[in-house]
Amino acid sequence: MDFLLVLGIVTVSCLALGLISKYLRQASIPAYIIAGILFKYSSERLGFDLISSDDFTQVVQGLGKIGIILLMFYIGHEFNFRGIKEPGRFFAGSTDFFVNFIAGFSLGLLIGLSLLEAFILASAVYISSSAIVISSLIENKRLIYPEAETVVWLMVFEDIILAILLVVLTSIMSGGSLAMIMIPVSLAKTLLLIVFILVLIRGLNNFISPLFKRDDEIPILLIFALIFGFSALAHLLSVSEVIVAFFLGSALSGVKSFKRLLGDTISFKNLFLTIFFFSFGMMFSFEFAGLPLTEFVLALLALIILSILGKFASGALIGKKQHGSLETGLRVGAYTTPRGEFSVVLLAVVIGMEMGISELLFSLVVAYVISLSLIGSFIAKHGDMIGKAMMIGINKLMTLKR
Amino acid sequence: MRISELPEIGTKYEIESPKGDKVAVIFLATGEIELYVLEAGAEKPSVTRLTSEEARRVGSVLTGALLTIEREDVEVSFSEISDLRINIHICPVTKYVVGKSIEDLAIRKKTGVTIIAISRKGRSIISPPPETVLEEGDMIVVIGEHEQIKACERQILQPG
Repeated sequence: MDFLLVLGIVTVSCLALGLISKYLRQASIPAYIIAGILFKYSSERLGFDLISSDDFTQVVQGLGKIGIILLMFYIGHEFNFRGIKEPGRFFAGSTDFFVNFIAGFSLGLLIGLSLLEAFILASAVYISSSAIVISSLIENKRLIYPEAETVVWLMVFEDIILAILLVVLTSIMSGGSLAMIMIPVSLAKTLLLIVFILVLIRGLNNFISPLFKRDDEIPILLIFALIFGFSALAHLLSVSEVIVAFFLGSALSGVKSFKRLLGDTISFKNLFLTIFFFSFGMMFSFEFAGLPLTEFVLALLALIILSILGKFASGALIGKKQHGSLETGLRVGAYTTPRGEFSVVLLAVVIGMEMGISELLFSLVVAYVISLSLIGSFIAKHGDMIGKAMMIGINKLMTLKR
Repeated sequence: MRISELPEIGTKYEIESPKGDKVAVIFLATGEIELYVLEAGAEKPSVTRLTSEEARRVGSVLTGALLTIEREDVEVSFSEISDLRINIHICPVTKYVVGKSIEDLAIRKKTGVTIIAISRKGRSIISPPPETVLEEGDMIVVIGEHEQIKACERQILQPG
């Protein structure tokens, strides 16, 4: 399989669907996933037989992996440890986590997933899409309202929970595949590697900092050497590379001269993340693990409805406590409904651990992310109208009761 | 004034007037600036996105640093000291003064006007020393009262 042919197919089809999504004013994440699904579907039906060639899948997945690593690196870099400590934010973040995680976990068990799979599903249900949420706040001119701040900090809180969930999940999976006793060992290994990175970058600050100020190819090379070097080290120690990337990013946010390179890193992230979504779509199968279509759709619908209600419920609680207004809370709920990149990343990392997770869970999450990134951006866009309509409904109910 | 950090977006500065109108300025991570105005009781805010250059202009108007720009006249005032206004005038050097130094012309003595800068071939000479010789094509920047500036133009720059 020709390498350039692979790149050509992936980038052109992503560009086409990406443009369509922008033209329709929709979130672009599902577009790239759908590009992958369509590609796989058409090549199977039309007999291109490109998928069956291992090279193709390997190239696309390899490039996609760079995308996840760069995304987590970026999230780690932007992460703000100081701001999260304020008491109101901590309350909001934990409410968001408990309500939505428990909802997802219970439904997972209900549809017959294992404990671990339900845990994965719950994580995917909990985490909103920062990308969609933040762009819809800006596009819909919500930044002047106090709840915008609450929503943005919820996203930050979700980032740290994501890092913790990833540490826990990958430790359970890599250690647990050997024996239960190995879980604490692999957890300790992960934590040690994190501390090592943080200390090393701080120690080497005087050496690294001037290198980033150079005008040649050294700075960008240094970034990727750090990212890939530590990823390789993580791989050797069977620690998840995305966690390493997250903490490397946050360690480098302490190196001032790195700021100059952030723009370049973001460009690489955007490119490779697109390929990642494509590769993710390529893994989707229409078989649903032997489940009849109707049952699959029912499970999906239940999941979608529960996720939307979950965010509205946690939003209402947060709004009541933080802003003293139910309507503001419902708007918080509406803005945080979109799910996207993180739910997918989480699943991809889990798949990367090569521990059998059921096809049901996989297909479910793919279909779920596509639906909720579209439905979610719609709800976020019309957040104030929906909030208002819900308030009118609630007020009517209250008067009826009296 | 309330300052708050919006991670991944930027920094927000907001102020609420006693009437309940809100104004927010958001410095986006992209370097652009969004200006929000939300009138009390209004459904939706008005928003505009400015480049940093545009924002600087709006800013200097709001602080009162720049009051009027009338051809070559600039009146500068300061929000701190509201009754202090300074007239700045820009005039081209005429052939009658080319080759003479500021000291020779005794501009300050005769008219009370002070030369604060000279723009010469794209370079600027700030606070020129008295021995500076004026050249053809120079633009001189002066401060003084309206009457003094008029006098300077009539007596020094014109033949007489």
